[in-house]
Amino acid sequence: MNYFQSLTLAQTLASMKLKSEASRLVLSYLWWVIEPMLFVAMFYFVFEVLLGSGRGDFIVFLMVGKIPFLWFIKTINSSANALISGKGIMGQRDFPKHIFPYVVVEENTQKQMVVFLFMVIALIAKGYEPSFHWLYFLLIVAVNFLLMLPLAMLAALVVVYVRDLRMVISLATTFLMFSSGLFWDVRSLEAGAQHLLLTYNPMAFLLDAYRQVLMFSAVPDIAHLGWILLGSLVALFFMHFLYSVQSKFIARKVLS
Amino acid sequence: MNSPISSAAQDNLNASVAVFAENLSVTYATRTSLLGRFRHSALKDISFSINKGETFGVMGRNGCGKSTLLRILAGIYKHDKGKLQFAGINNRSLLALGLGFDGELSGRDNALVSLMLQGIKKKEAKKLIPEIQEFSELGDFFDQPVRTYSSGMRSRLGFSVGVKGETDLLLIDEVLSVGDQHFKKKAEDVLLQRINGEQTVVFVSHSAGQVKKLCKRAIWIEQGTVAASGNTRRVAKKYQDFMDSL
Repeated sequence: MNYFQSLTLAQTLASMKLKSEASRLVLSYLWWVIEPMLFVAMFYFVFEVLLGSGRGDFIVFLMVGKIPFLWFIKTINSSANALISGKGIMGQRDFPKHIFPYVVVEENTQKQMVVFLFMVIALIAKGYEPSFHWLYFLLIVAVNFLLMLPLAMLAALVVVYVRDLRMVISLATTFLMFSSGLFWDVRSLEAGAQHLLLTYNPMAFLLDAYRQVLMFSAVPDIAHLGWILLGSLVALFFMHFLYSVQSKFIARKVLS
Repeated sequence: MNSPISSAAQDNLNASVAVFAENLSVTYATRTSLLGRFRHSALKDISFSINKGETFGVMGRNGCGKSTLLRILAGIYKHDKGKLQFAGINNRSLLALGLGFDGELSGRDNALVSLMLQGIKKKEAKKLIPEIQEFSELGDFFDQPVRTYSSGMRSRLGFSVGVKGETDLLLIDEVLSVGDQHFKKKAEDVLLQRINGEQTVVFVSHSAGQVKKLCKRAIWIEQGTVAASGNTRRVAKKYQDFMDSL
């Protein structure tokens, strides 16, 4: 099976899984949009109503950060189970194991496209005027997607070797939630801390970039995006190497 | 998918040999505590060879290492020690009762995924689905999630999908032991067709009777080692005597 065949298979499996998940829930596909909106409402209640953020556009600020972040966090957390839950299919024959984390990323991304569409509609309804700069949004989404792929592969792989790492992964994503400027603005930090965070936490940079583009119609830092893209591609290449070397060992660990 | 065979090794292979295994060993290590590990040798120095077009039998009781051996032959696992060579075999298929499916997906979707895993293109795989649906006799259940299936229905689906694809080496694990009489008969007929043709087959069962019916040569595996090999009748006799003595 070559890489393109594996992509088709991952795509097919993801669509099947989405269909089956939707058929099990009463509100079915509506959940894709309801869930992120509920999260935004929850955060709004805590950080605006209870704590008072002091910024007029806080609900928009929250939405534009929380929605892409949810995509990221849910993808990484569910990737941790990707290989282990692939047990059934893995017993059939030898095939590239990267399909499993790919399916998770694909599944969450398909949902996310619908959510993003709603987000953009909500922005327009709120009075934000679409501009050509919004096209940068697609670029940021693409980089965000490529950043998730190797991380999802890593999360799935480490759990195969040490199951306990699942806890560490969910702790790490929670830490990321608090350190990526989700309910506070990275730009309000003092220069040193801001630089540190934007340099070493790609999610902090990406969330800020989403906001810059959609809320302020600004051009994102393209060079920085380029570095994240390059780093992601190198990591992706490395993860593929690990997966191909470890393929049969993964099967043994998961099946026995 | 198979490792390329060096020319020197190729010379070792008799022209009629399809699979050659020498001193295959597999050890599982399971973590029991922070530093504690439980080691278990599933296979110890297993050697055999299978001729092209032959139906080769493997018998042994539960937990003797049969499934591990099949998974190694299917290329799902890699052995820890020993040598395994294939000649003229590019595609291997495992047909097992507990053949894994994704419980949340329908029989139709699972069948499609299984075919695609065999390297069949999606378009062509879709064309094969109606035949599989018919052969499996699952009726309306074919579009229901596999988790709602009985074990008999699962094995019917597994068998129907498994015999569909073209393969150079067919690995069969206990498939004839479950299912109602009618389906069992149908499955046996299909298998016999393949077995009597050019197909190289490895047939694994805990039942000496079944192996005797289908294979001329066989091995008996007990606790991960080859306890007897050669003519099926002789091997089966030893196996049965051993089972009776337990």
